[in-house]
Amino acid sequence: MTTPWRLALFVLALIVLVPAVWHVALALPAFGAPTEQYGAAVNALLTATRHVTNMVAAVNFDVRGFDTLGEESMLVCAVTGAVVLLRGTRGESMTDRAGKIPGRAVAPRTDATVLVCRIAATLTLLFGVYMALHGTVTPGGGFQGGAIAGSSLMLLYLGEGYESWRRMVRSPALDVLEGGGAFVFVGAAAVPLMLGYALLQNVLPFGTPKDLYSGGLMVVANFAVGVSVAGSFGLLLLEFMEETRSPDSESMPDEED
Amino acid sequence: MSILPWLTAAWLFGIGVYGVVTSRHYVHLIGCLTVCQSATYLLLLSIGYWWGAGPPIFYDHPPGTPAVDPVLQALVLTDIVVGAAVTALLLVIALQVHKRRGTLDPQSLRPLRPSQ
Repeated sequence: MTTPWRLALFVLALIVLVPAVWHVALALPAFGAPTEQYGAAVNALLTATRHVTNMVAAVNFDVRGFDTLGEESMLVCAVTGAVVLLRGTRGESMTDRAGKIPGRAVAPRTDATVLVCRIAATLTLLFGVYMALHGTVTPGGGFQGGAIAGSSLMLLYLGEGYESWRRMVRSPALDVLEGGGAFVFVGAAAVPLMLGYALLQNVLPFGTPKDLYSGGLMVVANFAVGVSVAGSFGLLLLEFMEETRSPDSESMPDEED
Repeated sequence: MSILPWLTAAWLFGIGVYGVVTSRHYVHLIGCLTVCQSATYLLLLSIGYWWGAGPPIFYDHPPGTPAVDPVLQALVLTDIVVGAAVTALLLVIALQVHKRRGTLDPQSLRPLRPSQ
């Protein structure tokens, strides 16, 4: 199908859909009017009943915890699929060292770049861990904290160069982080089930509000998700970087010793 | 203008679809898909918004102060995470297509045939 035909189809779809969208937009509740009873109930009740102050985390890990379990599985599936596709064509002969093309000079980084990247990467990693751990108290949570912690790996790469980066960041470690986090989350969901409660029912003591430990089982689920997301982001980064290696191993593994 | 957010979400979705329709490159197409998806963020956040309400985090103001809907914020969080993972997967697939076919133009790609 050529572009003019596709455009014609698009215009046809627009002619049908625009009046429908207009109709729905007029029928929706006015912007900014409180309508949702569910959210209002969560806001009113969960601080007292679950001892948490971040309602978004409470919805994610307690009230709608089952949905988050599905979301986490989807994340793990997508990342696993991406990694399998990338590794599959590159071959299983995965080397732990960075490839090197003989004769191509590696441009050295200035000291300032290395210093700034080391400081920034450390701070970013710390901030990510802080964000993930305080998920039930202040804005943040496992997903956000994990993503921030994962992106600190990028800063490390920027400062250290690919070779030292590969020496620091090991693929099996990231695999364990990703899978282990997901496993702990599933465990946190399944243990109440085995004890005769509902899935993800909050069986742990709730702790004190505004404390690092507040929310009982939510803390465990939150931490597991944070670890898993950090591992997933690191793994994706690593596999996309490895993609620059040529598949027929023309590049020689660097002999450092 | 209480319907402006809904129309903006529809417009975002529309230009995303337009980009997909006229796309000449798969990476551009994946970007357009992300634009389509951001329409859902806007729609969900607008539905959950209340005039004069604060964030649904009761750390320094007591529970009972007006706060926006946390359920929809959690939904947007889900949306973003899944979107990021699926975008990565799509980019990998685009990479594989480029390796096998040497092109990423949807126009010049033909259906897969068994290799002779």
